[in-house]
Amino acid sequence: MTACNTAIAQVDLTKVKPYGDTLNDGMMELTFTLPVPFGEEGSEAAKILAKKMGLDEPNVVYSKNMTDGYTFFVVYGKCQHTVDYTTIKVTKVEVDVMDRLECGQYIKDNIGREVVIVGASTGTDAHTVGIDAIMNMKGFHGHFGLERYEGINAINMGSQVPNEVLIQKAKEVNADAILVSQTVTQKDVHIHNLTNMVELLEAEGLRDKVILVCGGPRISHELAQELGYDAGFGAHTYAEHVASFVLTEIVNRKMV
Amino acid sequence: MYLLEELSQKYKTVSIVGMAKNAGKTTALNYLIEEAMDEGIVLGITSTGRDGESTDLVTGTDKPRVFLDTDTIVSVPEKLYELADAGLEILKMTEYGSSLGRIMLCRVVTSGYVQVAGPVINASHAKMCEEMLGFGAELILIDGAIDRKSIAAPETSDAIILSTGAVLSRSMKKVIEETAHTVGTYRLPPLEDGYARELILEHLSEEQLMMIDGEEARLLNRSTGLGAGKFLDGEINENTGYIFVPGAFTQSVIADINPKKLRQVTFVLRDPTRIFIDSVSWSQLRKKGLKVQVLEGIEVAAITVNPSAPGGYAFDHEELLKGVQEAIPDIPVIDVML
Repeated sequence: MTACNTAIAQVDLTKVKPYGDTLNDGMMELTFTLPVPFGEEGSEAAKILAKKMGLDEPNVVYSKNMTDGYTFFVVYGKCQHTVDYTTIKVTKVEVDVMDRLECGQYIKDNIGREVVIVGASTGTDAHTVGIDAIMNMKGFHGHFGLERYEGINAINMGSQVPNEVLIQKAKEVNADAILVSQTVTQKDVHIHNLTNMVELLEAEGLRDKVILVCGGPRISHELAQELGYDAGFGAHTYAEHVASFVLTEIVNRKMV
Repeated sequence: MYLLEELSQKYKTVSIVGMAKNAGKTTALNYLIEEAMDEGIVLGITSTGRDGESTDLVTGTDKPRVFLDTDTIVSVPEKLYELADAGLEILKMTEYGSSLGRIMLCRVVTSGYVQVAGPVINASHAKMCEEMLGFGAELILIDGAIDRKSIAAPETSDAIILSTGAVLSRSMKKVIEETAHTVGTYRLPPLEDGYARELILEHLSEEQLMMIDGEEARLLNRSTGLGAGKFLDGEINENTGYIFVPGAFTQSVIADINPKKLRQVTFVLRDPTRIFIDSVSWSQLRKKGLKVQVLEGIEVAAITVNPSAPGGYAFDHEELLKGVQEAIPDIPVIDVML
């Protein structure tokens, strides 16, 4: 016990700071590249930048010439800012998460028919990792995908699927839910693509007949709802989260 | 400019629709709220997204807050209720959900800042507006989210205010062109009374693609026009005059139709929000003889312009205002930043 008292051992959640060697020392590591030649002046530029970002005692611990005129830096510094952790509110999808087997049982007990879910990585996005993690049989990180769920017909259309094609498929198979994945996009193109999907569904008169869900590393539930989706799933969510939401929503909306 | 007085006499619900995110929708909303305070009109305020929060979820830029006067009827989700700086009397807990809890209808008892949010689905919005009118709102203003234009549909509101601005493009010419294109499609000629309209209305609830050959309706047993170009090309015969498309009207609906056949027919849509064709392609198609009519048009009550963009550039106030007004001479154009 006494050993801890050499530093300030109390965590104050209203003033949270990064932890390096001791509590509240504020120590952080930054890595970045500047378009400047490798050398003393370059390192100084990195230090000045870190200082401007609010880091005390910036220290360039590593730098390397990337190519002519570009240098990579690792900088350590002490953060001056604190965060009040106690006042943070994050909106999340509120649903009781069921595991794969419970989902299958839930369908049997409450829905009594096959649930059809269509998903794709849409627009310019060529990455299937997100939609595959949720839909493919092998799943991701030990969490099996929707294809392995009993009572769910999961149709994964792959990547770069135009919104129109996804909607056509959803109509064709009479889908209960549409999953839209956006993994890697630039300059907020995913925002435009996501709203376009909602607008097309509204125009097709389909919006209130399907459960519309989007997911991806840059998507939060809050953003998804602002864009007109029923739910959004970000990092650290798996097939069971999506399935639980979709199934509960089917029952809530009386789409049985 | 007494915009609001005119609006409240003519319409019950007005949507504020943005050409893009950060086009100045909430600023336009605040402008109207201020006028309502002067005129003593009881407003109902709701939103398709979330309004009045201090920073933007997507761009992180500062956003205008929404200040509401006493008696205003407003939709507030459970979780934002406590954050409101105004005194709110809860009138009703609705069944509509949002990311921030269920939506409540409230009356403002002491004026102050409020964060506004509404249901996600447009159909729920229309129902909720009815309830707000029942609670005594004389005019309902619906603030749109991002660039979602479907809220402009005549099912949801009687008229719209279109917000446009520098955020659309660094080229002022492009901003004016895109805005004029949107307004142009919103004011497409409604299908005149006659056999075509009667036949379409008769079969409207069946939600199917429909041909009108001479004065005969022919249902095509297909619910969407998306990707149906080739199919439609095969179905058009020498007597076909009209094609009714129940849903979205995109390039893929018409892409594979023979140019001669395209010139022969008139496409009929429910309303202009079903059109998903950009301004350049649209004018090319028009030159090729594309004809489109709607069952119901959209009333554009006013256009607001915002000459500055969050990207850090701005146009000259006067120049933009004049440019938009010249392109669209018969609708009032207002600079919300002046």
